[in-house]
Amino acid sequence: MLFPTPTFAIFFLVVLPLSWLLMPRQRLWLPFMLCASYVFYGWWNWRYVFLLAGSTVANQVFAVAIYRSGREPVRRLLVAAAVAANLSVLGYFKYSGFFVSSLENALASLRIPVASSVVTAALPVGISFYTFMAISYVVDTYRGEFEPTSFRRFAVYLSFFPHLVAGPIVRARELVPQIATRRDPRRVETSRAFQLILTGLFFKVVIANHLATHIVDDVFAAPDRHSSLEVLAAVYGYAVQIFADFYGYTNIAIGVALLLGFEFPQNFAAPYTAVSIQDFWRRWHMTLSRWLRDYVYIPLGGNRKGRLITYRNLLLTMLLGGLWHGAAWTFVAWGGIHGLALAVERLVGDVRHARGLPDPPDTALRRWACRLLTFHVVCLAWIFFRADSFARAADVIIRLFTAWGQASPLVTTSVVLAIVVGIASQYVPEGVVDAVTARFHRLRLIPQAAVVAVSLMLIDTLGPAGVAPFIYYRF
Amino acid sequence: MEPRLRRYRTAGHAVVLSFVGLGLAALLNAPGLHKRAEIQPPGFGRDVAVALTKPLAQTSHALLLDRPRRGLKDALGRGADDRIDTRVVIGPVGPSKPPPATHASDRVKAHHASSPVKPSFNPPHPLRIWVAGDSLVAVPGQALERAVGSGGTIDVLAVESRVATGLGRSEIYNWFERFRSVIAAVRPRVAVLSFGSNDGHDYMSGVPAGHTIGKLGSPSWMAEYRRRISGVTEEFAQAGTYVVWLGLPIPRGNGYREGFVDVNRVLRAVAAAHPHSASFVDTWSMFEDSHGRYADYVRDAAGRLVRMRAADGVHYAPAAGDLIAHTVLRLLKAKFALASR
Repeated sequence: MLFPTPTFAIFFLVVLPLSWLLMPRQRLWLPFMLCASYVFYGWWNWRYVFLLAGSTVANQVFAVAIYRSGREPVRRLLVAAAVAANLSVLGYFKYSGFFVSSLENALASLRIPVASSVVTAALPVGISFYTFMAISYVVDTYRGEFEPTSFRRFAVYLSFFPHLVAGPIVRARELVPQIATRRDPRRVETSRAFQLILTGLFFKVVIANHLATHIVDDVFAAPDRHSSLEVLAAVYGYAVQIFADFYGYTNIAIGVALLLGFEFPQNFAAPYTAVSIQDFWRRWHMTLSRWLRDYVYIPLGGNRKGRLITYRNLLLTMLLGGLWHGAAWTFVAWGGIHGLALAVERLVGDVRHARGLPDPPDTALRRWACRLLTFHVVCLAWIFFRADSFARAADVIIRLFTAWGQASPLVTTSVVLAIVVGIASQYVPEGVVDAVTARFHRLRLIPQAAVVAVSLMLIDTLGPAGVAPFIYYRF
Repeated sequence: MEPRLRRYRTAGHAVVLSFVGLGLAALLNAPGLHKRAEIQPPGFGRDVAVALTKPLAQTSHALLLDRPRRGLKDALGRGADDRIDTRVVIGPVGPSKPPPATHASDRVKAHHASSPVKPSFNPPHPLRIWVAGDSLVAVPGQALERAVGSGGTIDVLAVESRVATGLGRSEIYNWFERFRSVIAAVRPRVAVLSFGSNDGHDYMSGVPAGHTIGKLGSPSWMAEYRRRISGVTEEFAQAGTYVVWLGLPIPRGNGYREGFVDVNRVLRAVAAAHPHSASFVDTWSMFEDSHGRYADYVRDAAGRLVRMRAADGVHYAPAAGDLIAHTVLRLLKAKFALASR
């Protein structure tokens, strides 16, 4: 079930009142929300509900066993087994074809006889997200940061439909306490919820879909047929498209959860205003960044084992982050560019401090220069993320410099406008958004409904026909 | 950062606002919702959706609440988005015309499509190809664009891929109308068409009056689908356009298999019946493994094991597009004389 569809609207109109009606009775609310979430998930393919249920049972068994075990070696063995089991399932569905084909091609190059074909299983939607959430649950239990909750609460935590298929990656300690306590029906952030849902829909349906269908897909499919200006617009366009797509999804997810009385962590904070790659990762897919920090970077040693190990850890973490996005070397390259950039930034800072040099003055000019540089490094990495092969990524980069002066029919006013809106929106002060929300909040119910209805009409009318799936669904 | 000011309402307010807001939005968007209901796959879900949205659209129209949407769509030049058009108009549109002359030799040869002399093309007068179809055509079409580049002997005019469309249900998108407008406007020399992945249902709209069709694959279904494919082929042929029908690839699992097999049978038969004006490219066998089964990774032309299919087990991965484009170009080289300068 996709968020921006009439099917989801009907589903939600059933779930929302029932959820509030049953909320006072946890005994009824928990199975109800579990069923609702499984219906939401099973809408794609009901068979994968069993996979989700299996993951729930296995991780709860591991967490309880870890919690109850008093012996450290046993606990360590259990947590290692739990992480291995989760990664094995993820690896089977997501990476088996990639690794087998890579291995077979390597063997073939050594003239060792290999298979002529590989069959893989279809990738269950959202598996990367709920697997990471399950890992955080058992690891936090092992670290003593969290006590396992009841099976029913854990099942709702893992499958809660607003975050199920594309995040945000909500930690157990953030959501389970909310699930465990009755949500207060007098304290629902309705205005903020609708503001998030409407802006989310606008970014996804209007901005992201427009850029995808009017320039990005065409240019990345055959860069050689396009002018440098078109390629440049497509690169900027993809940077905006992927932001609008994922930010849009996240906003809808957070808004839907708010209407149900739950609060999710923020996932984006104007990432294209970042003044460094480190700053970018504090603003982009924030729940994945902190997951990678807490469960990969810090266990690798973080910055505690010397400078060289720190650089290595940054690179390794981002390479794994790249691979998490998809089973292709281009994603690894995307992670590698970010890892390298993070390491270089760290190196420059280390050298400066080692020589006793002062930090450069924080001027507006310097900040803008840093923003521009950061944005373009991010765009360079996006080329590898979007291209389906290294050859195509190279074509895009070469074409950026070799076809200036040619006709650029794809660079239309609407494309430029979508790019400008996508980037400029990140510079809108939080206070302005808050003021608009406050104004909406002060309206009575019928004018509020009219605002919601007219906004939905405009979004649906301006968006292209059909519903394009969210980019992050496939991760 | 300062803590955000929280503004609360009651859960009751949230529920009522959701119902009233979405209810009003449904009225304002009623024409779009009704169209969305109509174009769903046949079955109980579609019947319910149509039963709900038809009175909604009528009410919206009576209250003039559909005006803003219609006005905005018209202003955007997309007034046809919400139209439900089930007409299927196929077959010759008028007196036969040769394709636009490219250069002297082609002008002569175009009149003799059946003659053994191949029409010739070169960079100043390229072979103009139009690629169209459902979502399956996007990847091979883009691969074809890459393969021919720009300024060469072959010019890909456009790749028109429309998700969830087909030749079975013109209310989703009226391809028959589109073919006519393309023939009239650009007269391509070759049309590479990929249809059928959304046509494997027991239902077709626009069936001629007095006719009914049976289940998918039944003689009446096959006859009607063949009428459409033949009609499109002949319509293009009359305008001097050679049609390359891309077959449907072997899918993962059994869900689409029956429909794909039936569509391929029709496409193959029609191409065989029009040897001078159409060809069929068998993509089913192209992506089978050595045991005739579905495979995600298949060896490419260079012998590398490459992912050929998308995660859904139906669509193509880019490498599959390259393989299909390579096959189409080989076919075109056999049919036309393509000089590099």
